[in-house]
Amino acid sequence: MAFLRQLDSSSKACQLAVVPSAVLCAVFSDAFVEMSVKAFELVPAVERDLLMGDKARINIECIECCGKHLYVGTNDCFIHHFLLDEVTSSKGKLSYSAQKLLHKYLGLKKPVAELRAASALERLIVLCDGIVFLIDMVTLETVPSAAGGGAKIRGVTAFCINENPVNGDPFCVEMCVLSSKRRTVQIYMVYEDRVQLVKEVSTPEQPCAVSLDGYFLCLALATQYMILNYNSGASQDLFPYNSEERRPILKRIGREEFLLAAPGGLGMFANAEGVSQRAPVNWSEGVIGAAVCFPYVVALDENFITIHSMLDQQLKQTLSFRDGHILQDFEGKVILASTKAVYVLVPLPLERQIQDLLASHRVEEALTLTEGAQRNIPKDKFQVLHKRILQQVGFIQFSQLQFREAREHFRKGQLDVRELISLYPLLLPASSSFTRCHPPLHEFADLNHLAQGDQEKVLLYKNFLISYLGEVRNTEVVNVCREDVDTALLKLYAEQDHESLLDLLASDNTCLLTDSIPWLEKYHKYFALGLLYHYNGQDSAALQLWIRLADGDLQDSTRTDLFEYIVDFLSSCSNLDLVWTYADWALLKDPTIGMHIFTKRPLSKDVSQLNPDDVITYLGKHSQALLLYLEYLVLERRIQKEKFHTHLAVLYLERVLSLQSQSPTDEAQLTTARERLQALLRESNLYLVQLLLDKMENCEQLLLERATLYGKLEEHERALHILVHQLRDFRSAEAFCLWASSCRDSAYRQQLFHLLLGVYLDGSHRGQSHAVAAGGSGELEMAAVDLLNRHGEVFDAISVLRLLPESWSLQLLRPFLGRAVRASMHACRTSQIALGLAHSENLQLLHDRLKERKKQILVSEKKGCHLCHNTFSEPDVVCLPGAVPVHTHCVAHRVRDSPTKRLLTNSSNHT
Amino acid sequence: MPEASKMKKPDVKLVLLGDMNVGKTSLLHRYTDRKFKDTVSTVGGAFFLKQWGPYNISIWDTAGREQFHGLGSMYCRGASAVILTYDVTNWQSLAELEERFLSLTDTASHDCIFAIVGNKVDLTDPKAQLSQDSSGVSEDQTEHEEERTEPQVLSSCPTPPASPASLSGITVHKQVAHEDAMALYGRILRYKGLEEKSSLPAERMCFETSAKTGYNVDALFETLFDLVLPSILRKRNENQQCPTIDLEECRGASSKRARFCC
Ligand SMILES: Nc1nc2c(ncn2[C@@H]2O[C@H](COP(=O)(O)OP(=O)(O)O)[C@@H](O)[C@H]2O)c(=O)[nH]1
Ligand SMILES: [Mg+2]
Repeated sequence: MAFLRQLDSSSKACQLAVVPSAVLCAVFSDAFVEMSVKAFELVPAVERDLLMGDKARINIECIECCGKHLYVGTNDCFIHHFLLDEVTSSKGKLSYSAQKLLHKYLGLKKPVAELRAASALERLIVLCDGIVFLIDMVTLETVPSAAGGGAKIRGVTAFCINENPVNGDPFCVEMCVLSSKRRTVQIYMVYEDRVQLVKEVSTPEQPCAVSLDGYFLCLALATQYMILNYNSGASQDLFPYNSEERRPILKRIGREEFLLAAPGGLGMFANAEGVSQRAPVNWSEGVIGAAVCFPYVVALDENFITIHSMLDQQLKQTLSFRDGHILQDFEGKVILASTKAVYVLVPLPLERQIQDLLASHRVEEALTLTEGAQRNIPKDKFQVLHKRILQQVGFIQFSQLQFREAREHFRKGQLDVRELISLYPLLLPASSSFTRCHPPLHEFADLNHLAQGDQEKVLLYKNFLISYLGEVRNTEVVNVCREDVDTALLKLYAEQDHESLLDLLASDNTCLLTDSIPWLEKYHKYFALGLLYHYNGQDSAALQLWIRLADGDLQDSTRTDLFEYIVDFLSSCSNLDLVWTYADWALLKDPTIGMHIFTKRPLSKDVSQLNPDDVITYLGKHSQALLLYLEYLVLERRIQKEKFHTHLAVLYLERVLSLQSQSPTDEAQLTTARERLQALLRESNLYLVQLLLDKMENCEQLLLERATLYGKLEEHERALHILVHQLRDFRSAEAFCLWASSCRDSAYRQQLFHLLLGVYLDGSHRGQSHAVAAGGSGELEMAAVDLLNRHGEVFDAISVLRLLPESWSLQLLRPFLGRAVRASMHACRTSQIALGLAHSENLQLLHDRLKERKKQILVSEKKGCHLCHNTFSEPDVVCLPGAVPVHTHCVAHRVRDSPTKRLLTNSSNHT
Repeated sequence: MPEASKMKKPDVKLVLLGDMNVGKTSLLHRYTDRKFKDTVSTVGGAFFLKQWGPYNISIWDTAGREQFHGLGSMYCRGASAVILTYDVTNWQSLAELEERFLSLTDTASHDCIFAIVGNKVDLTDPKAQLSQDSSGVSEDQTEHEEERTEPQVLSSCPTPPASPASLSGITVHKQVAHEDAMALYGRILRYKGLEEKSSLPAERMCFETSAKTGYNVDALFETLFDLVLPSILRKRNENQQCPTIDLEECRGASSKRARFCC
């Protein structure tokens, strides 16, 4: 029995003594299994006993396998026929049981050199003693020659069967034969009872081995390999090879592709065009047989079976096999023979091979093997496998802290992120239904197991998860487990004091409350917890928490401006009950900022609005806040409601009064308070004037305010009287005139100014006649002169001149008079120009009209009016310059709105 | 073996030829992995598939050892570009190109282009000591390359001996000058029976590289990829001209054509 043991390539060099294999395996497996893949297992098929018993000189020469039928040719000219059954043990272990059906002596006393089955013909093609002949597959009897021709070919050194036949006849096998004498290759058709020569081609040197695919002969000549197309005669040299030195190997491995033994112990691939499309594999020099069992190249030398991957050229497995003699593949099944026994090389399931690679962390190879198998596995099955392998690879890299690679593989493998999260204790919510997949994707219990207590590593792992979850949480992969992902992320953020915690909570999220509350509390993330409450519609809980935080009952330094934040929150809070509940707290803490609850409320429709009356009622007890609120309503929002205006004016007045009553009075404050009051009185038209007048009844100091109020009542004389005679503030009197007439026409203003002038002049006459305080009348006179000189344009110069005392010098009124003359001149000329323009426009139109009258104008129902674009329904039209017909009503419309028209109306004002 | 396991056919083939140890494998590594790492002597050959735009380019790395010499013409068969590589510190490696490797290219495509590449120029030229790896970080900037500032540009000096390798650390003689490579390029054109005028100019096709620092490596491969594009398009066109292929016909024809080209 051959001595076999699976060994790693590196141990190939050491010659092993024959020791009980179990012992050695134990020694070597740990050390070397790392480097190898278990891709195949060698299983005995026919043992020595069954073949030759104890006859030492009998050797196996050739084998053929066809389905369950195994034929063995021996050196004593026997053919043995076995039935080979696959037996799978209860443990899944495969073995073969061979049953001998027949053996037959061929009668030539020479070794049986080659055997090939032609199962469609039920024939075995045999090469023995240089003769090719046919025997019956079942009886092993030689087939007698048919009448028409022989079934024997003599002088043969080698033959091969075309596995890619060019002849369509299924009951005919194409065979290529090398003959010992001539440098020729012959092509035969083999039938049930005869062989027929169809082609003979000569070769440059004596061929010693051949393989056939279609019309392509792949030949080993004495010094080189070549491809020969026996149909066209075209040839292609491949590469030099000394066939005398080393036995050539040429093995068809697929359509028009061959595997050849090359110099230097290489296994070279070549296609029919003489091109190598795969990288060679590195065999030993003494290879005697080779086969491809995708993705592996299996080769046999005297002592070993070597298995290389075609995907990466690497040696993957070495099996010790002594006295190796034959290695051949039959319909995908690789069969080996020593001189005495037959074995089957059984490939292990691909998944098992991949898992073995992964178990030894050989991720690249595992991936290459997986991806290389893509074409051999149904698509959906492959995808499932590929994803799983990617995920496993990801976890291996993850465990080795190769996060970049791990991330990539998790992503490609569409990992259920919970697999990853579940490695981190406590991160998955208690309610999560997740269980890790089975079989597991990795061997790690949890993070502690992975990091072995190394806190730095723990941190690296956590940071990786943070970035990974952040990346995937918006992708489809997490559709089924959004809550788990967000909750885990929240926990990590909180624990790591990560700045993104607030972003997570402030944006769309699915963090679970039940899990998150205790966690956030544990890490004192109260502000964040408030956000979470808010996101879940529990604003009341959020506010309670934040208020405790703002009051210092809880500690969390997330926000230093928490009070402003709460106020801001309330100002946009749509639950008005909450606003009313917490406004008190805010106003007490800081009325100016607290007021923002009411004043900074967005005015959009989405936010429920507060009723100002309610607010005012509510603010009754917060006087300062009330004032601020009314200012907000009146001055900022410009709400036109008498109530608010009056209320604000009264409050202003009350403040002025209260400041006045203080002693000593704070002048600065009083001034600002009065200015505010005055401004409001001047600018608002809504407050109740009489009410305020009444309230000021007894205040002699508020004369200016009263003048304004009289102004509002249009009691201008009274107002001016106060200003001129009581306050003697001529500037204010003038300003009053401007203000009181600001929204009126010029006539009204003129009237007011004349009134003021009258007041001045009356006062001065009275002053002269009664000779009151000296200088008093002069002062009024000067005021009158100033008024005229400053606002000359307002006055009607002629009536002013009539009013003025004779005694006044022309020099005094020079600016006034000069301006009056100039204004009148200007008005005269402007109107002349306007008149001229109107005249010429009129002429122009007249001219156009005359011109247009001569032209024809086409009006149809299909044509549209240029002004309104509707069609014409009646013949009456107006023609615009350029023969453009338009509706009469359209043109009427246009004339009404035309800019020329407007211009004319305006200019008429000036004339 | 199932047909399905056949590989997707590359559109075009590039082959690296040259004596062993000149750095062919290292050049390919540098280009594909952006790294310089220890190589083991290449056995037989190896190849790499590069996606260049919509095209698949296979780059074959060959073994320079005498033992595998016979395989060279197999690898070159139908190649669109051949990169003849020598070691600038080794005059013999340039000579070998002409003596041993040039004849292997007889099987290449008839419009095959040739590049002559002097590798290991980091040993002789300061300018090549700066990493040119555009991908930035190269893991194995072992020596003092990083801190060094760009030295003055070398004056082009005539023949092998005198290279003003003035920088510390450079002790290796530049045995092959750029001009020598360009002269070889001229001889290759003559060997191929090509007009110098109608061929790609020597200045463009002679490179000095360093697989170690990445100097000129991307430029080398990318120049070649761009230059073989027409060859790809031509091949695609040829395939399109006979959209229905008579398999029997083609078998004969393709091998005939292959013989013609050589
Ligand atoms: N200094 C230097 N050494 C190099 C360079 N390229 C390759 N080598 C070294 O040269 C030796 C041979 O390289 P290798 O790529 O195996 O050459 P090949 O036989 O042509 O494939 C190795 O020891 C490399 O480290 C280079 O650009 N600069
Ligand atoms: Mg190499």
